[in-house]
Amino acid sequence: MPIFEVDNLHLHYLTRFGAKIPAVAGVTFSMEKGEVLGIAGESGCGKSTLVNGCMGLFIPPLWPTSGNVRVDGESIMGRSPKDVRKNILGRKVAMIPQGAFNSLNPTRKIKDQAADMIVSHESNVDKKALYERLRQRFDLIGMETEKVLGAYPIQLTAGTRQRCVIGISTLLDPKMVIADEPTSALDVTTQKAVIRMIFDLLDKQIFSTMIFITHELPLLRHVANRIAVMYAGEFVELGTTDQVIFDPRHPYTKALMGAMLSAEPGQRQRKPVAIEGAPPNLAYPISGCRFAERCPQVRPECRVNKQEIRIVADRQVRCDYAE
Amino acid sequence: MLKRYPTVRYIVTRGGWYFLTFLVAVTLNFFLPRMGKSNPIDIIMAKVGGGLDTKAAQAKEEAYLKEFGLVELDAQKNIRRSADGKPVRTPVWKQFRNYVGMCLRGDLGTSFLNYPKKVVDIIKQAIPWTIALQLPTIIFGWIIGNVLGALAAYRRGIFDGVFFPLALLANAMPFFAFGMLLMYLFAIIWPIFPAVGGYAGNLVPTLSWTFLSSMAYHYILPFFSIFLILAGGQAIGMRSMCIYELGTDYVKYAKWLGVRENKILMYMFRNAMLPQLTGLALSIGQMIGGALITEMIFSYPGLGMALLTAIQGNDYPVIQGCTLLVTVSVLCANFIVDILIGFLDPRVKAGIAGGGK
Amino acid sequence: MPSETTIFSAKNLTCVFGHGKKSTKAIDDLTFSIADQEIVSLVGGSGCGKSVLAKIMLNLIKPTSGEFLYKGKPIIDQRFHWREVQPVFQDPFSCFNFFFTIRDQLKASFGIMKTKPSKKEMEERVDQALLAVNIVPSEIQGKYAFELSGGQMQRMLLARIFILRPAVLIADEPTSMVDACVRASILDYLMKLKKELSMTIVFITHDIGLAYYVSDRIFIMHRGKIVEQGTPDDVALKPKNEHTMKLLDDIPDIHKNWISR
Repeated sequence: MPIFEVDNLHLHYLTRFGAKIPAVAGVTFSMEKGEVLGIAGESGCGKSTLVNGCMGLFIPPLWPTSGNVRVDGESIMGRSPKDVRKNILGRKVAMIPQGAFNSLNPTRKIKDQAADMIVSHESNVDKKALYERLRQRFDLIGMETEKVLGAYPIQLTAGTRQRCVIGISTLLDPKMVIADEPTSALDVTTQKAVIRMIFDLLDKQIFSTMIFITHELPLLRHVANRIAVMYAGEFVELGTTDQVIFDPRHPYTKALMGAMLSAEPGQRQRKPVAIEGAPPNLAYPISGCRFAERCPQVRPECRVNKQEIRIVADRQVRCDYAE
Repeated sequence: MLKRYPTVRYIVTRGGWYFLTFLVAVTLNFFLPRMGKSNPIDIIMAKVGGGLDTKAAQAKEEAYLKEFGLVELDAQKNIRRSADGKPVRTPVWKQFRNYVGMCLRGDLGTSFLNYPKKVVDIIKQAIPWTIALQLPTIIFGWIIGNVLGALAAYRRGIFDGVFFPLALLANAMPFFAFGMLLMYLFAIIWPIFPAVGGYAGNLVPTLSWTFLSSMAYHYILPFFSIFLILAGGQAIGMRSMCIYELGTDYVKYAKWLGVRENKILMYMFRNAMLPQLTGLALSIGQMIGGALITEMIFSYPGLGMALLTAIQGNDYPVIQGCTLLVTVSVLCANFIVDILIGFLDPRVKAGIAGGGK
Repeated sequence: MPSETTIFSAKNLTCVFGHGKKSTKAIDDLTFSIADQEIVSLVGGSGCGKSVLAKIMLNLIKPTSGEFLYKGKPIIDQRFHWREVQPVFQDPFSCFNFFFTIRDQLKASFGIMKTKPSKKEMEERVDQALLAVNIVPSEIQGKYAFELSGGQMQRMLLARIFILRPAVLIADEPTSMVDACVRASILDYLMKLKKELSMTIVFITHDIGLAYYVSDRIFIMHRGKIVEQGTPDDVALKPKNEHTMKLLDDIPDIHKNWISR
């Protein structure tokens, strides 16, 4: 049985004039235990909205339209905010956010912030035992416990802060972890250290299933088992890592791979191609393919026909003409 | 030693700056009245010397000159005279030295108006009233204003919709206008509270029940006229601070973690409070000044009233004494807030320990 | 080929922050020179001193000791220097004011010039600059910073450079806040600036892959020192220094075994 299922999920933002902006439009996927799913896409494609939806956390103006999310076969939609807070967030689905700089409260010590997380979910926690538990956990995940726990965020480097965030997020051994660009604010060396820590936590079974969101496709090659490419609120391609990276079929995935560059012999001559134009404005209804405006292989029919998922070369592709 | 204890160094350097400010204030306090045209001795003489003949008047004048330290004295404490018999005037720098010396001894001189009453005694009489009125109003006004502002930011909705314009109105209103408005409404149009005084005029200050209840009764209007304006101003600042804090990443992260609402509220309140404290340090002088004006409006027998009487009567020593006292208390309050910020904000604390980058 | 005139030359350049025991050498005894019309990349991890060096080049920080010359002369006049040397920073949103339209702010950048062009010419030059970074002028007409995407805003910063046409551009991590798919276009504009306006560009990044793609020379920095320098092919393909190797190794390239699990 899949541990995490998202079933035709639609989410919208409600503007103050009462208009609905569909930010996530029909996302479907399921994950087995021990799997890492990478989600790639540029900013504004609905990645972060999808994260909130997957956690059942709806802070106005975000609202669920339809669809379902199940963790371990149990639906997390349509619950009261208090129930979601106490029983789902951090326990079933935990989040590792993007900004290492601002995600921690600047005026509170790391140990107190970690303690707040535990106290919010468990009743009758003994304070002394709590700090002992924190110490053990931080030792286990390979942090410099003594230095880190008593420090304020400002006294730590960006990399250490991000690792603290990961440590705090996974304190309650969540079934499912969603990492939203955990390394994009870091330099390459620190990025590697953070990824190494995530792998370490996976090996130690602190959590086993993860969604990893980033705009760096090359990074997903090393992190994910499967990759979903997201564009304007939809998955446009979903397949195994090797399929998506080395043999992309959707024009958008191809364009993303084409925009990538790296220090390899001959790369200086192979010119990376930027994707011109901007993603569509979702406030207005789109009838045809959402990528049509920027697609290099666009046909007249694309602007009219709504594209549906089909199976091309063993993976899901949302393009009628991909082969 | 200072190098090894950054906290001590922080307090000492801060204290040094405040002491310097204090010296400047004392200097200004001394020279400003002396820049004026009117001569206080003439004023007193005009008042008391009406019926005296020339000789007696001169003797009286010289007694005043001696009393106020305006003439040089010899070893026997007699007035030193020049060749033509006129008293030798003390040069200004010597007067200043004497003044500072007296201030440090806690002697603020003698009142002109209520001669020979000492300034210190006048202030001693007024200060309990002022402290009783201002300390609670400023503290409660600040706390309640901040709490209301935080709630308005967190709850939004109708509470905010009603509360915010009211707070804006209170903030925009000057102290004296609001005091007069309250007095007009609740003491004249609908006379449920007394308009003037700290207690009923026919009572003598004692620790009796009648006196205390009369005091409490007279306390209400001045209290609210300061309190509401203060609370309104603080609430507006706190509200926008909290709205900012609510949008920060760490609040979002805490929500994602499933941290309890009251904890998040505490995060927000504390972090929004720190800039508010700085704001308090900046505005504390204004608050005390405004509260003094309110005292004048309600003829409250505190420092404000003493100051008003003194100004009306050109009673320089009392004016100087009052302003000096207000200056010192504002500086002290500022100093305390400044040190508090240093201890409450780990960012400042880290800055202190890191050698103050 | 880069011509022989030098733009920047540094001799025993050192920059120290803090005092006594707590002091750190951000720049440690650097000697280098940058020639006219060259694209030089400064590459290194965070805290290696690359951004400090950029600020010295912009005359925002004074070096503690050593000699730093612009076109053979020490930098004296700030305003004069900024007419010739202009930056592009990492976070475009913090570079623009939210209360004025983007177009007005672009026009305001004429303020640094010695002789301001006429109003009509200003408008024309703004339009040209916008077109140069592939933005239709009407697209941003009357818009404010928060209405544009990160990629568009980064291009606005570059449009400023097209307007001012300085001799030297200091690009401090211009691609680290933008998506991978916009990144390539930013690099394209840097190349275009060099080609069309014969600009000297100092490109600062932590990603040696980007440096490899744009630069004529690469400086690898570590703890305030330049540990390796050379042409991109030498540095990126035949690295000799361990820090260079580490930087190359840390890039998650799709063709190598980046991390083992």
